[in-house]
Parts: sequence; C-alpha cells; structure tokens
Amino acid sequence: MNTLYYFVLIPMVYFSFTVFFVGTGIRLVKIFRKPKQSTSLQIYPEKRPQWLWALHDTFLFPSVRKHKPVLWIFLILFHVCLLLLMIGHLELFGEFRIFQIIPHEVFLGKGFVGLILCLAVLFFLFRRFLSPVRELSVPEDYYLLILLFLIVLFGSQMDWARRWYGYEELLVEDYRTYLLSLLTLKPELPYNVINSGHSFMLVLHVFFANLFLIFFPFSQSMHSFLSLPMNKLRRG
Amino acid sequence: MSEEMKIAKVMDLKGLPCPMPILKVNKGIKEVEIGQVIEVWSTDPGSLSDFPSWARTRGHQILKTDQNGDVTRFYVQRIV
Amino acid sequence: MDPKTREDLLKLFQGKLNEAMTFYLETCTRCGVCIEACHVYASMGKVRYIAAYRQEIVRRIYKKYFKARGNVWPSVGDAKELNDMALEELYEAAYSCTGCRRCMVYCPFGIDTQMIMSIAKLLLVGAHSEPEILTLLADTSIEKGKSLDIFKESFLTGIKKLEKDVVKKWKMEAGGTPIPMDVQGADLLFVALAGAHSIIPTAAIFNAAGENWTLSFFEAVNFGAFVGDPGRTQLILDRIVKEAKRLKVKEVCICECGTAFRVMKQLAGKQPFKVSSVTEVHARYIKEGRIQLDRSLLNGVVTYHDPCQIARNGDVIDAPRYILKHLTNHFREMSPDPKYNWCCGGGGGLVALGEETLDFRMKSSKVKADQIKRTEATTVVTACENCHTQLCNLNDHYQMGVDVKFLSSMVADALVQK
Repeated sequence: MNTLYYFVLIPMVYFSFTVFFVGTGIRLVKIFRKPKQSTSLQIYPEKRPQWLWALHDTFLFPSVRKHKPVLWIFLILFHVCLLLLMIGHLELFGEFRIFQIIPHEVFLGKGFVGLILCLAVLFFLFRRFLSPVRELSVPEDYYLLILLFLIVLFGSQMDWARRWYGYEELLVEDYRTYLLSLLTLKPELPYNVINSGHSFMLVLHVFFANLFLIFFPFSQSMHSFLSLPMNKLRRG
Repeated sequence: MSEEMKIAKVMDLKGLPCPMPILKVNKGIKEVEIGQVIEVWSTDPGSLSDFPSWARTRGHQILKTDQNGDVTRFYVQRIV
Repeated sequence: MDPKTREDLLKLFQGKLNEAMTFYLETCTRCGVCIEACHVYASMGKVRYIAAYRQEIVRRIYKKYFKARGNVWPSVGDAKELNDMALEELYEAAYSCTGCRRCMVYCPFGIDTQMIMSIAKLLLVGAHSEPEILTLLADTSIEKGKSLDIFKESFLTGIKKLEKDVVKKWKMEAGGTPIPMDVQGADLLFVALAGAHSIIPTAAIFNAAGENWTLSFFEAVNFGAFVGDPGRTQLILDRIVKEAKRLKVKEVCICECGTAFRVMKQLAGKQPFKVSSVTEVHARYIKEGRIQLDRSLLNGVVTYHDPCQIARNGDVIDAPRYILKHLTNHFREMSPDPKYNWCCGGGGGLVALGEETLDFRMKSSKVKADQIKRTEATTVVTACENCHTQLCNLNDHYQMGVDVKFLSSMVADALVQK
C-alpha cells in the first residue's frame, strides 16, 4: 500500500506536472507559430478599446449571461472558485502576504469554495445529459467533468474534515512539508501524510489531479489559454 | 454558318436576372444531342459576356449572337 | 474512398490550419450557448443544425488526423475517419450553413463557424462533390477575366442599351455619358452585378451626385467564395483589383451584394484604393448635400434587413439607417440589435443554387419570416442581391404581403431633380 501511495504522491506527480507544463507549452508555441489569418475575423459594430472588450468577453462571458443566465451563474461560480482553490494550493507551499490581504485560514472560504465547485461541476455534468447538449457532447466532455468532480470532492473532503468535523490529524503544516519537498526536488512523505485516516483521500485527490493534468494539454481545457486570443480576433 | 442552321430547342430566358440564364442554358444544353444547336433568348445585359465565357469553360460553341432591341439571341452548339 | 484521395484531401485540410483555424478547432467546449443562434435550428429544430454540431462534423476529422490523440485514443473525442459518408455529412453541414456568423456572436470564445465550414467546402471541392453550379459560375467569372478583350465590345453594346433607362431616372446635360466605362482616372469604380436592376438606379444616383465614376466590366459577386475555393475566390477578386489599378481609381464601390463586399473589403489586402459599399457612398452623398431625396413617396412602416456580410461582418450599419431617415418617417427596426439580426436564409450560395434549395430555404427561414411579420412593415428594404431574392421567395411562401425593395433603387426613385 505504501508503495502505491509513494508512486501516486511522488513519481506520478512529477510526471504529470512535466506533461502538463511541457505539453501545454509545446502545444501553445506550435499553435501560435502557425501562420496568422490574413483577413479580419471581426464582428461589428466595433467597440473600442478592443483589447479591453476582449478581456471583458474572456473573463465575464457576457454572451452566456445574455442567453443562458443560469449557466452563467454556475460558470462564474465555477471559474471564481477554481481561482480561489488555486490560491489555496499556493498557500500550501508557504505564506504569501499578498493573499492574506483578507486574513483567512488556509483554504479560503471555510470549505464552501469546494462545495460550490462540486455543485457547479454536477450542474455541468447533468446539463450534458439533457438534449440537445447531450447530442453535442463527446466523451471527453464527460470525462473531464467526472475527473474534476472527483478531484474536488476528495480535495474538499480534507478541507471539510478539518473545518467541519474537527478532524485535526492532517494539518496544513504536513502538506507544506510534503509540497515543499516536491518543489525542492527532495521528495519526502511526512508520517501524517500517508498514515492518517484521511490519507487515502489525499492519494485519490492527487491521483485524479494527476490524470487531469496529463490530459489537459490534449483536451478542450486548452480553452483557458486560447479564449483570450480568440475573443481578440472577434473584437478586431 | 448556314442559313438553314437547325435549331433543336429554343429557350426563352427573357426577364431572368443573372446568374439564372447561365444556369438554365447549362442545364438546357445537356438535354440536346452533341452537335445540335439551341437558340437562347435573354434580356440580361450580363449574358453578353457571361455566355461566351461560360461556353469557353464548358467547351461549347456560340455560333451566332443576334441583338434585336433589348433581346439577345444566342445560337449555341453542344460540342461535348 | 481510396487512400490517395484521402491523402490529397487531408493535404487540403492541412493547408487551412492557420492559427485562427486551430484556435477554433481546439477550443469548443460544447457548452451549448450557440444552440438558439442558428436560424436553421430555430426554424427546424434538428440538432444537426446547431452551430457546435456543424463544427463537430469537421472537428471530428481534425481530431482523427491532426491530433496525436487521434491515434492513441480516438473515441475520447468521437474522432471520425474521412470517408465517403463523412463527405456527405460535410456537404449537409456546409450547404445548410449560410455563413451568417450569428453563432459567432453567441459563442463565449467567438468561434467562427463559417470559417470551419470553409474546410468542409474545400474538401468537397477537392473530392469534386461540391454543387456543380457554383463551380460553373465561378469558372465563368474567371474566364471572363482572362479574355476580357473578346467580350468587351458586346458587353459595351449591352450596357449602351441601358442608358436610356438611366436617363429616365435622372436627366443629364447634353453630352454626358449616362454609364461611363473604362474611364482612366475616374474617382470611383462601380462594380455591379450583371443585371440591369443593379446598374440603372445607382448609375442615376452617381450622375445626380456629379460623381466622376466608371462602371466595371466585371460583376461583383464572387462565386468562388460561395463554393469555398480560395484559389478561385482570389482569381475572381484579382480581375477587379487589376481593373481598379489600371484605371487608377481612388475608390472601389461594391454594389448591393454581401459576399462581394465582404470579399473585396477584407480579402483584397492593402490596395491603393478605398473599398466602400454602395450604401455608404449614397449616405455620403446625402450628408454632403450632393443629392436630395423626396420623403413623401413611401406609405406604411418601412423596415430594413441587415445583410449579414454587410452589417455584422462588414460594419455597414449606420449608413442604411441614415439613408432611410431621408426616405421615410416610419422606419422600424427589425431586431433590437443589428448584430443579432436573423440571416435571410439565402447566404452561402444557397440562393445561387436556385430551385434546388428553395424548399430548404423556406423551411429554414421561418424565424426570419416571423421576425418581419412582427415589424408590421409594408416595405422590407435590403442592400444585398441574395437577401433580396430570398426575401422575395419568403414573401411568396409565407404570404407576407410586403414589398421587398433594394435600398439603391428606392434612393434612385426618390431623387429630386433640381
């Protein structure tokens, strides 16, 4: 069992991060080095400054707000919570003063961020079971959502355990030791990380996150990088 | 071109705007035998340049063009 | 399909994969925001007419041959092989899409379905499965450009015959040429369609405004663009560019034809002349006081149909409204926002395919007919040949009882002779 934990928590993490960074990097470089479209792809009427409107379209999804308001609420919640969780994970490496402008215990949002994210992902998933979105969807769309759900569920469980059920065995300090050791390429697994009652959750969380990272560069998740340049094309 | 040029078919395309005359004549010519001639009437001014270009791309031959008032008559021979 | 054909077609596909196209093919999340965007889906309710579904027909082939995933794990993205059945699907997707780009307004990323459909159209050309009529018309246009000298004389005679009708609309001083052609150093080259209705009214307006203009030998419409063949599109375009340079004109003015305008404006690249639509030019004449219009000719509510390629895709939005303000006091908008205007349903070469597509065009444009009915207008004005034909067909089919008119001919009819 320990070997399995070790494999998921150390070599597989290194592998998936490599695939994620190198894969995404290479793919983006390849895409951006392709010949540019020579004609305009703009939609009119034009609004200036175009780059500002492109940012607006990319981060606020105005067309979704207009046409699918319910979906828009979940989309915004989803993406905002995703961002908050990324900050949370950074704080597992160490203290960042900038994030503590609003003082909080590590993992912002008292556990609700993860909960909201779970619900949003479930909403996206069940939405795909309904026609006509069902006919549009391909297996990749479901796999990504299921993966995300599992990642968030097991990840949040650890947060919820500390926050809501007073389960104090796996502490922020333990994660910090583990993550910093990964970062400094001197991997070690603190006793608590693999021997507490909730270690299996950590392992499952990391396992699914690894799968997600490996799949990321080859999936539609690349929209996170391509959305802005595409919206810029539309704005001219 | 002899006076007794035999006309296999007459197509009246008067009043049709571009590109309808071309489409109709392209269809019409396939309905006669190779070597036969069709007579086409058109009032579309574009036909005067469209018909010869069409005939060249499709390998047919325009034997004669008569202009009479607003109406132009083309005599087209099916070659292929 | 034999391997050689497939290989050739995939080469064509590869050639289309520039940066923007790769964005579009990589990104769709199939979120379904575009579902209601397509007039064909809104009218007929079939899933295959949803923009994302159309795109997916092309995207599946992309996933099979141009992503590493296509070899390792094709089923994850429903990757599909390029075969005869795929070609049929591509045909259905591409020739039921009018290229109006309304879905691009809906898409949170701004994916251009028309551009993705251009791959489908190119593959069909490569497989000789495109609508033969469109290639025929494109070839005819190209041939005309190649051998202008042969047709010049007969075309000039044909145009001469139209002059009396121009003078009927606007009397000229003795010695003036109602339809000048081949004028070196003219200010404006007018590229019309080869039909009298496209030339006569605008000629009268140019004469009324005292424009130093000349009529092009070529028709504006670009059938190469309809059939999605970049080579043919360019050849057809080049004829006009060459003529404009030869005559050293300052401005090329495109008649009421959406495709022609978009192709000329966006595809011609940087040129020593400016490209305008005839609508913009007419609005300019009114603004500068070069023509006066009689506002009392029209009764009843007037509405304007924005041709997709001219408004949403070409930025001519204010000019037609400005002109209409000088033609009527009873103008009513069709759509609260012109960029959301429904396509007439005739674009992308569908109208040029004539009766072959009539049934589909009528069924797929029910939402357009309903939109027009809601305005309670008695006159529907537009500034595109394709839209005009389609709107006339809709008028008959749905018994709307409206008058479908070209904006240019309304301006010509309302000219006040000083």
